[in-house]
Amino acid sequence: MSATRELPARERSAVRPAATGGRKTSALARRQRNEAVALAFPALIPVIVLSVVPLLIGVSLAFTDSQLISTELPNFVGADNFVRLLRNGAFWNAFGIGAVWSIAVTALQFVLGLALALLLNTDLKFRGVARFLAIIPWAMPPVVVAIMWQMIYSPTNGPLDWLIRSLGGPNVNWLGSFSLALPAVILVGVWAGMPQNTISYLAGLQQVPAELMEAARVDGAGAWSRFIHVTLPALRPIVISIVSLSFIWNFNSFGIVYVMTEGGPGGKTLLPMLFVYIEAFRNGNTGMAAAMTDVIVIFLLLMLSLFLLRRFRKGAEA
Amino acid sequence: MKLRHTIAALAAAATLFSLSACASPSGSSSAGGTTTLTYQYFNNQPAAIAATKAIVADWNKANPKVHVNLVQAPADNLQDKLTTQFSGGVAPDIIQNDAPSDILPFAGYLADLNKLLPSKTIDDIDPAAKKSLTTGGKLIAAPTEVQTYLVFANKKLLEQSGATIPTGDTMTWDTFEELAKQTTTDGVRGLTWGLKSPTSVFAYLGTGFGATYFTGEGKDAKAVFGKAERQVPERVASMIKDGYIDPTGVTQSSSDVLATFYGGKAAMTVAGSYQIANIESEAPAGFDWVVLPALEGSKSASQLAAPITLSVNAKSKNVQAAADFVDFYMKGENLAKINLADGQVPPTTSGLAALAKLTDGKNGWAQVLASGKNLVTPAFNTLTKYNNWKTTVATPGYQQFLAGQISSDQLSKQLVDGWAQLNQ
Amino acid sequence: MRTRRIVIRTLQYLALAAFLLFLGFPFLWLISTAFKSSSELNSLAVNLIPSRPTLTNFTDAFEAQGLVRAAVNSIGVSLATTVIVVVISVPGAYVLARYRGRIRALGSGWILVSQIVPVALFILPLFFILRTIGLVDSPAGLVLVYVVYTLPFSLWMLQGFVAAIPVDVEEAGATDGATKLQVLARIVFPLLRPGLVATAIFTFVAAYNEFFFALVLLQSPDNFTLSVALSTFSHGEGLSRIGPLAAGALIASIPSIVVFAILQRRLTGGLLSGAVKG
Repeated sequence: MSATRELPARERSAVRPAATGGRKTSALARRQRNEAVALAFPALIPVIVLSVVPLLIGVSLAFTDSQLISTELPNFVGADNFVRLLRNGAFWNAFGIGAVWSIAVTALQFVLGLALALLLNTDLKFRGVARFLAIIPWAMPPVVVAIMWQMIYSPTNGPLDWLIRSLGGPNVNWLGSFSLALPAVILVGVWAGMPQNTISYLAGLQQVPAELMEAARVDGAGAWSRFIHVTLPALRPIVISIVSLSFIWNFNSFGIVYVMTEGGPGGKTLLPMLFVYIEAFRNGNTGMAAAMTDVIVIFLLLMLSLFLLRRFRKGAEA
Repeated sequence: MKLRHTIAALAAAATLFSLSACASPSGSSSAGGTTTLTYQYFNNQPAAIAATKAIVADWNKANPKVHVNLVQAPADNLQDKLTTQFSGGVAPDIIQNDAPSDILPFAGYLADLNKLLPSKTIDDIDPAAKKSLTTGGKLIAAPTEVQTYLVFANKKLLEQSGATIPTGDTMTWDTFEELAKQTTTDGVRGLTWGLKSPTSVFAYLGTGFGATYFTGEGKDAKAVFGKAERQVPERVASMIKDGYIDPTGVTQSSSDVLATFYGGKAAMTVAGSYQIANIESEAPAGFDWVVLPALEGSKSASQLAAPITLSVNAKSKNVQAAADFVDFYMKGENLAKINLADGQVPPTTSGLAALAKLTDGKNGWAQVLASGKNLVTPAFNTLTKYNNWKTTVATPGYQQFLAGQISSDQLSKQLVDGWAQLNQ
Repeated sequence: MRTRRIVIRTLQYLALAAFLLFLGFPFLWLISTAFKSSSELNSLAVNLIPSRPTLTNFTDAFEAQGLVRAAVNSIGVSLATTVIVVVISVPGAYVLARYRGRIRALGSGWILVSQIVPVALFILPLFFILRTIGLVDSPAGLVLVYVVYTLPFSLWMLQGFVAAIPVDVEEAGATDGATKLQVLARIVFPLLRPGLVATAIFTFVAAYNEFFFALVLLQSPDNFTLSVALSTFSHGEGLSRIGPLAAGALIASIPSIVVFAILQRRLTGGLLSGAVKG
């Protein structure tokens, strides 16, 4: 078991949210496994039919010349799609942009979401209203989000431009600038994902046992120390699950950005999933689209495994 | 709390049950001699929706045995919807799509209108538009509306600058550039041009210089960027450099720059003909605007034929009845109604005549109609990778070029090589 | 010491205000846009409060698109999805969080891959399967699809919350001779309340705002959900129907807002206090 930080022994056991199956006897383990299957069962059948099967089909199309609109069955073409993909410079360029985009958005969502959740968890006034406002971005569907932010960023009649100019600043063409477009859309990406992060961390904060906080305070730990040594470890499983999910979603999203910039200017905000979409639905080339997807899947699983591997092996012990 | 959950679940289930019970199946059906057909359209300007409803109502009144139902599909995701409908076998009987390159992939599912429409209707269709919708001898759709790109101008600003407002059927590029120069003064640019999506408009206007952008067919097609193709982008780039074009507008869409145009900060704007309907209703009171004659390149004033299309599902329960509806829709007066609402040009002789009558005296329409003559079939309609190339190679390339980041030669290399890469 | 508290307090309020401005402003702009006439929207004026407010956008929105019917469909489908998903997820999330071994690995693998693979790739096989069952173009079919596709992230989120509950709490309850199911129901479930609320809101929003499946699976206008109905106010190059789109979006946001207002009150905590006895 890895060493914990300087927590007193009492707290250490309380915050260990472990799975302990491996240490029990085999008969018990078998019974537990059966229990597990029984519990998970209702979710299994529709999932396998409607999700796993289509997914497996979709992913394996990468090795065929499958077309979306076709009356013939697809033929096996081996790694042909992947070889051609290697030479598609525009795709790899977009891949890089996608990586920057998703890392930036996920990291900012985490930091800002957690900060806001902490604020909402303290007893400030107007907490109810504030919590409600924190979820407001969710009330707008993605297309509307994109259009509103496009209007806000407008260099001719947008409020942001008005604000900057009344403060004496220059007229900035956010979405039209080769250097500012990506940061500008990253900000929108963060905005759209704030509710998910904030609410999850808020719920997580409220699961932190009050006595732990009390005990730490009694032991003389300051606010920052309490945060690092009590709050964060307690939040850990939630942070891991939300951040990993956010990372995947952010890498895959392209709707909002596409409506705002159509991938421009000059391809500076072209995201990889857009390629998949065009390949599948505009060119009807589902084989190549699947190849692109497989590359993305491998990349994301690799990134996530670095993040999650510890959790699976050690059962997320602090 | 558990009880509340149970109640909510029951309520939801009840709602669902009643909704399912009311769900009506789509598609055509025959009952007691009456055929019900579904027409799926995507026009979404209120006037166009009203015109569509009027046309369908007229048809239903005149044809009690064939009832047409209307379903509206979103214009932005039309392809997604059609793809799954055709593949899933639930496609409607009569289908409207927004360009030949979008409907051609479905050719296998569509009926041959050459065999179903009266020859009078077929002969009435503009040859370039007809060619753009013919594949393997089959006419897979009837063209109904064609857009062109036009220059809209602020009459007052033009007069103030001392320029003469061009009249006649066409206007040369040199005249146009001269106008832009003359009307650029302190705080006012000669031209604001929404070039966020430049590929289409350059292709349309490049036609006037003989630009084709592609040679060869199918798998052998190659992208070209020669002298003819360079004309329009280079002229625009030089106008930007000289300050006659609003640099902010270059990064915006053609709708976004209208605010600058209405606000008197730019004397002219280039936009699709469909904006004429918007300008009529949105421009501030007292805004005096005109449409300048169609831009003429060194070869002609032609633009591309990429019409909105009307097709018949080959698997419809009553293919002939569906085709009869298409024929009805193609009648001069009906085409005129819908093109007037959408700010487009009918690609048929009778339609043009009817629209001319309908728009007699209306501001700008004479120029719109004149610009729709002598259309040219685009070379890229049948190229499956065109959309891909447009979004991931051409548009970024043009944007970089217009921003002065790459030269004309570099742009040429990017366009040609990008196409080759996509097609290996 | 007291001034330090006041300073911290003030900073906290300022930070909160900054956040809320950032999060709330676009929505404010949406409201403003919905009441602006199309000529104002196409002018160079920048006003938060419309210079000449008008209701025409709302009448356009209602008239054109059968919004009320679509709203009912959306709410029904989203509520049904949320209830079903939350109920199924709890046991599943528990398994994922507590049991090591193949189930967890497989389950997690499926969850992650299903989130990565885009809809475009499996929409057709899915469509065919649904057509065989006869559930294309029906709200029930849509609910089924939504349940299957929100289940992964609901499970993933919830298992994080379960994992955050110390095992000792469960073991304390188990020593009284209770079965696993009883422990789940009486001890774990109540402790999961904040997590459940978060997951429920999340699932509702995902189903409510979902567009692609609804677009592709629903054929009859009577079955359209709000996202499909709103999409007919296309954005597009030349189609400036932003006013009615904003009005429609504003109306469409009302059910979400009501759900938020109700559910966020349940995000009160401190449930764990007293559960672990010294």
